[in-house]
Amino acid sequence: MTTSPGFSPAPQPKSAQAPQPASSSHSARQAPVIADAAYLASLKKVTQYYLVTAFLALLVGTLMGPLQALNYGGINVYDNPILKALLKSYYQGLSLHGVLNALVFTQFFISGFLLYLPARDLGMKINMKFAWFTYVLMTAGLLTAAVPLLTNDATLLYTFYPPMEGSPVFYIGAAVMVGSSLLVVGQVVNMWMRWKRANPGSVTPLVAFMSVATWMMWAVAALGIVTEVVFLLIPWSLGWVAGVDPLISKTLFWWTGHAIVYFWVLPAYIAWYAFLPNHAGGRIVSEPLVRLTFVMFLLNSTPVGLHHQYADPNISVTWKTMHMFLTFLIAIPSLLTAFSVAASLEDAARARGGRGLFGWMLKLPWGRPTFSAPVLAMVSFILGGAGGIVNASSTFAPVIHNTAWIPGHFHITVGTATTLTFMGISLWLIPHLTGKRMPSVRLASAAVWTWFVGMMVFALGMHWQGLYGVPRRALVSATAQSVYRDMPIAIPQLLTAISGVILLVSAVLYFYVLFRMLLSKRVDDGEVSSPIPYSEVISPAGTKLAGASALVRYTEPLLALWGVALLLVLLMYGPVLARLFANAELVPGWRLY
Amino acid sequence: MSAPRPAGQRLDHHTLEKYENIWFGIATVMALFLFVTVLASFFSGTYPSLTGEGGHHITGVKNGRLNPKNFAATPFATPGLRQNADGTYEAFVVAKAFQFEPAVLKVPVGRPVTIHVTSADVLHGYYIEGTNINATAIPGQVTSFTTTFRRPGTLNLICNEYCGTGHHNMINSVKVEVQEP
Repeated sequence: MTTSPGFSPAPQPKSAQAPQPASSSHSARQAPVIADAAYLASLKKVTQYYLVTAFLALLVGTLMGPLQALNYGGINVYDNPILKALLKSYYQGLSLHGVLNALVFTQFFISGFLLYLPARDLGMKINMKFAWFTYVLMTAGLLTAAVPLLTNDATLLYTFYPPMEGSPVFYIGAAVMVGSSLLVVGQVVNMWMRWKRANPGSVTPLVAFMSVATWMMWAVAALGIVTEVVFLLIPWSLGWVAGVDPLISKTLFWWTGHAIVYFWVLPAYIAWYAFLPNHAGGRIVSEPLVRLTFVMFLLNSTPVGLHHQYADPNISVTWKTMHMFLTFLIAIPSLLTAFSVAASLEDAARARGGRGLFGWMLKLPWGRPTFSAPVLAMVSFILGGAGGIVNASSTFAPVIHNTAWIPGHFHITVGTATTLTFMGISLWLIPHLTGKRMPSVRLASAAVWTWFVGMMVFALGMHWQGLYGVPRRALVSATAQSVYRDMPIAIPQLLTAISGVILLVSAVLYFYVLFRMLLSKRVDDGEVSSPIPYSEVISPAGTKLAGASALVRYTEPLLALWGVALLLVLLMYGPVLARLFANAELVPGWRLY
Repeated sequence: MSAPRPAGQRLDHHTLEKYENIWFGIATVMALFLFVTVLASFFSGTYPSLTGEGGHHITGVKNGRLNPKNFAATPFATPGLRQNADGTYEAFVVAKAFQFEPAVLKVPVGRPVTIHVTSADVLHGYYIEGTNINATAIPGQVTSFTTTFRRPGTLNLICNEYCGTGHHNMINSVKVEVQEP
């Protein structure tokens, strides 16, 4: 091992001992043992059900993707008679793609992952009947909403903006599905509060802390969409009220619609912070800093939604600007994450003998998919985050709003940062839950790398087309006018088309590995063969609040911080919504698909 | 930290804490700088911001809202450009599945034009190719903004908000014309 030029330690004259590299580390957490085998088996099973349902949704949703990439490659495949028998239109396929990938896959995966992690981290018993009831209810909601989607009765895209009107069955199913996630919130918060009562004066362990903060954030965020669907869209679609105010609905949608991206990405952050150092052979940098990051997300994720509405009238520029300011602030915890996780990786690489300013990167285990998936996801998120700053700036936004730039952006955020991380998690979590083995490291690794490359190429092609003004979510390959043929976009179109093929290959590889694994026999005790990959820590938060640093003490009262988060949202949305409701103009619904 | 650490090779708490604080500072300054630059472009006028409540002076429009079933009471009944008595220009545009009215909006070059857009059915997008004019057309509401077209020519007007099966064909144009003296 050599001294790192980038991070030479502060001089410590008193120290006369020989160098002991690991002497300042704190060992990885040992989660409490759960003695009740039947309970643990049931907990693992419900988690596995959530994960498998999530990946089935991703499978169907992902298979639509290449068709859309070809559309943006200038190739219209929707007139193919076989495809026509399955999909009424490009827009129906796009609705399925968006709803299944962005809403269903993420929510089911997170509901399993972030129910299991805090339960294990705290060693708490949860009511398994309630956990299974929540899973069944969420799945019933999904299946209900799936029917009108598949019969072309809810071709509304995943934003379902009224007054485009879908079958009431879609809105009811979606409400049940999303509403069920609030039951998971209740179960996790309840579990944490019981742990707090049983362990007075203790610091919540990091993984549980991050999980609880994420669920609290989601509860505040979900209020918008739940209010929109339950109180506005369901009564309207059933004909109980004569009309709907499109702007009120859209504003409530984006109350949830931006914060939901943090609901998608925070579980990935949990894996990056807590488990990636283990996969890499490094250590968590600072637990107090991680806690600060999550508190910032809890407080600041939701009152930012108006930055999706710069193009909308009748919302004052002042309010839009305040939301823009808060959106810029929410970049700070992500920048802190980039710092911390990169330091963990550098720590790992130098421990393996890596040297040089950048040369250490070569010492990381790039061929190991549980490592490469989250790291490539992070690389993707650096670019996606930078693009997000552009989207959030009211001066830049009009150039790229509703252009192909936007799907380019979110395929390297939720489509890679989240999805690729979740794929990587599945490669150790499913062996952990089931005792089954990953059938082929090589194929899994190929799936991870092709996903990353495919998404990078896709994002390049789509961002590029967007800058020329090609609109998002439009069947541009079949446009009658010559507008898009006249644009100088041959190269980005080609890139987009190629990316669809790469991603199809990647999906086939990944799902082959996943289903081979799921359908194989149990061979191991998952607790031993694939334990939860807790990492060593450089600066831990400690276990007792007394004597803990100020940062740890101020971040511990999550219930109070949850209240502050709610208050902040009401302050930043209350006046806007009050004015919209005062001037509401109800309009009738239309079905134009 | 409890025990004094030897001058080891791996990252340690104190060094990291220092870098963390520096990076936190940089991140915060970056966020504030972004905000200030956006505010600066508000004042320099490079951004055609939408007015809070559109078309408050228009007949039949109140608080930026109108009855989408009764365009007859508003200037949207006869979409197109008009010059007011004080010489200012206003254009009224109706978006509906799957075309804009007027199909060709004629505007004068080099003169500020206030464009008012509404929708007769669902949401539509009002995007003029090659510009930063990019607004939502909402049924029951008026979207208003003022802009100046600097060069003569014909620009594509593209609907960029999903509006149904014919969405991708909802493309018309804005014709920027040199004024006859």
